[in-house]
Amino acid sequence: MTIKSTNEKMGQGVGFERIRRITGYLVGTMDKWNDAKRAEERDRVKHSLTKNA
Amino acid sequence: MYALHKHEKIQKYLLTFDSICVNILCRYALRTQYVVFGRISERKDRLTMIHSIIKRDGRVVLYDQNKIAAAILKALEASGDGNAADAARVANDVQLELEGKFVDQAPNIESVQDAVERQLMNHGFNAAAKAYILYRANRTRAREANTKLMKTIDEITNIDARISDMKRDNANIDGNTAMGSMLQIGAAGAKAYNEMYLLRPEHAKAYREGDIHIHDFDFYSLTTTCCQTDIIKLFKDGFSTGHGYLREPQSIQSYAALAAIAIQSNQNDQHGGQSIPNFDYGMGEGVAKTYRKAFTRRLRDGVEDLLDLEDAEYTVTAVIADAEKTTGEVAKLQSSDAYIAAVVEGLTKAFKMDKATAEKLVKRAAERAYKKTDRDTKQAMEGFVHNLNTMHSRAGAQTPFSSINYGTDTSPEGRMVIKNILLALNDGMGHGETCIFPIHIFKVKEGVNYNETDPNYDLFRLSMQVSAKRLFPNYTFLDAPYNLQYYVPGRPETEVATMGCRTRVMGNVYDPTREISYSRGNLSFTSINLPRIAIESKGDEKVFFEKLLSMMELVAQQLLDRFEIQASKHIYNYPFLMGQGVWLDSDKLSIHDDLREVLKHGTLSIGFIGLAETLTALYGQHHGQSEEMQEKGKAILGFMRKFCDDKSQELKMNFSLLGTPAEGLSGRFIRMDQKRYGKIPGITDREYYTNSFHIPVWFPISAYDKIRLEAPYHALCNAGHISYVELDGDTAQNVEAFETIVRCMHDFGIGYGSINHPVDRDPVCGYVGIIGDVCPRCGRREGEEIPFERIEELKRKYPKMPAFQGIE
Repeated sequence: MTIKSTNEKMGQGVGFERIRRITGYLVGTMDKWNDAKRAEERDRVKHSLTKNA
Repeated sequence: MYALHKHEKIQKYLLTFDSICVNILCRYALRTQYVVFGRISERKDRLTMIHSIIKRDGRVVLYDQNKIAAAILKALEASGDGNAADAARVANDVQLELEGKFVDQAPNIESVQDAVERQLMNHGFNAAAKAYILYRANRTRAREANTKLMKTIDEITNIDARISDMKRDNANIDGNTAMGSMLQIGAAGAKAYNEMYLLRPEHAKAYREGDIHIHDFDFYSLTTTCCQTDIIKLFKDGFSTGHGYLREPQSIQSYAALAAIAIQSNQNDQHGGQSIPNFDYGMGEGVAKTYRKAFTRRLRDGVEDLLDLEDAEYTVTAVIADAEKTTGEVAKLQSSDAYIAAVVEGLTKAFKMDKATAEKLVKRAAERAYKKTDRDTKQAMEGFVHNLNTMHSRAGAQTPFSSINYGTDTSPEGRMVIKNILLALNDGMGHGETCIFPIHIFKVKEGVNYNETDPNYDLFRLSMQVSAKRLFPNYTFLDAPYNLQYYVPGRPETEVATMGCRTRVMGNVYDPTREISYSRGNLSFTSINLPRIAIESKGDEKVFFEKLLSMMELVAQQLLDRFEIQASKHIYNYPFLMGQGVWLDSDKLSIHDDLREVLKHGTLSIGFIGLAETLTALYGQHHGQSEEMQEKGKAILGFMRKFCDDKSQELKMNFSLLGTPAEGLSGRFIRMDQKRYGKIPGITDREYYTNSFHIPVWFPISAYDKIRLEAPYHALCNAGHISYVELDGDTAQNVEAFETIVRCMHDFGIGYGSINHPVDRDPVCGYVGIIGDVCPRCGRREGEEIPFERIEELKRKYPKMPAFQGIE
């Protein structure tokens, strides 16, 4: 990736990468996900470690 | 006058139509003109007459009842339903209907065809009506396919993939690149052709309307899905990639390089994911070769240094050759005492040294060779991971979709491989990025790595530390009863292994002596829109199972049709997969044989999506909400599995049930169903159907319950399954908590599982971990810039930070 630097600073316009598992494999950034899978990822809730939720 | 005019017209057709039409029209003319003309003359006093019709492109042409009668006759003949006289009678009533409806205007083609359908049914020719409808749909399809194809290619050519959902259907293909676009254009063309020419009309209709989804449809006529490549067999005596011949590798570096090439080569022969089932066992042989060479060299160096000799290679090599000959062994990471003793004795004789000195030399050489081999292995594993994340396949559009399975090889060489592949995965790519490929699968087995006293328990622990940081490895559980039944200690080919998103191949009704994971894979799979069947059944369980059964029959037939195409191929269509003996028994084929018999080792899989929505549609709740629903869910998948098992026995082919990965499918079915049924709460009111048998992602549930509830479906879905647990970042960093979940999966009989947690990275400062709104290391927000001085400061603090290559 090329990071442009201006005025002795860097990082302008550079987002964070968010790696997630899609259907069993990983995808480097969610830019490439289709709309339905993005919605699914957004809706995911975390699972607690207690036996009774 | 009118009758004469008609007669002339028929004559004209007789002259211009091809022989089939002539035949039909002759019969039509001879048998029916009396009837037709009689009826028309009776009705010539009517005020309204149809004189013209409007074609699809807007042109107005003369109305010709003969054409209608001919089309009706074709439908009647196709269904064996009636004769030419019947055709004429129906055609007359079509005209009557049109005359009644179109008083002031000419009917269009669609109205005429609607009238034909209705009149066929009115006359009781139901089969012919059905044939006519299918014929009409086919014609419409052919017309629309061209327009649709051009529109699709237009979108691929002109629209940014970030905007075009279609271009992001598969996240592993970059639709913005030249080769990615070329691949998508080819896929669009292939799909249009396949639908028009290769599918039966009923399959095309079910596919088009979203009752089923035929996966990898662009490859319908071309190849099969995936294969587990046994690298030990492949590397023996070398192999050809189809572009050049490679000698048998002689070091861990070349083993790892060739493993990547093998995956890449096979990726070009199949459309699915490529996998190595025995990564530890296979790479272990490379480790052994590297060590053996390193030991000789280190021993030679030691002798030369000690005795101040210029070149002791010849003598040392001879000593080692002698030791190998007398003991029948070679130098290994843990050489036997007998072998060590033989080398020591050889040294004392050859160099006239005392035993203690020789022992010391051998010990030092062994230690140094061990270190060197370990370093080489780490580098080889790093190279392998880098290769698989950067090398191109399929005309450069993708990195190979690859999987590696490991964890059960307890030999010192295999253990060195497992340790180093995990460390390479842990380190990440050049800038610390998480590696996307290969998918790492750690095979968990009691007595091997599951319990604290097991020889590979330390590696199991290491795997969890890595997975907590990098999302891989995933875990496959060899102790689950449906995996354990195939397991034979000492025969790694009987250990279940996974490929692609979740595919599993073990049972083999075609050849029960070959119930192994190696050299086999899936041939093709098609998924059923389960929620739609439930919605259509309107809460009636009996209706649901009837509809499900007929849908499974339809899919089974479609898979068999596809198999016929695949079976007619030859070795030369798959120079690597079949030409190099990667696929089971393909090395026994001659150039003239088709692939039919060897392909029967593979599986034909029937998949599904949305068990949760299906249960909600049928009973009002899903299986996360009550134990009763869990039983219902098991009954549905049990029914589907039994269908597959029965079909397998009937045809002696491997039909299996798949919890479909459904990447593109998650949105496709539900979009269609929302159009049909609207947004039904809990069923069609989201943007996706729930994956396979999963508890819905949005449903609050403990990890324990999720695993407990999903495990029974793993046993039923013998073609592939996976369960996920979602953890927040902090919990995932806690290896004890992580292990609790993996052990819970093992104990409940999950077949394949993984733990999801957020893995974020700031490309500016290289931080990897969980990033909320603000990067915890450099303090910037997304898109914000930070001063160079701050970067320099951070670099001093974190020397492993990326080097920022490519800064402009």
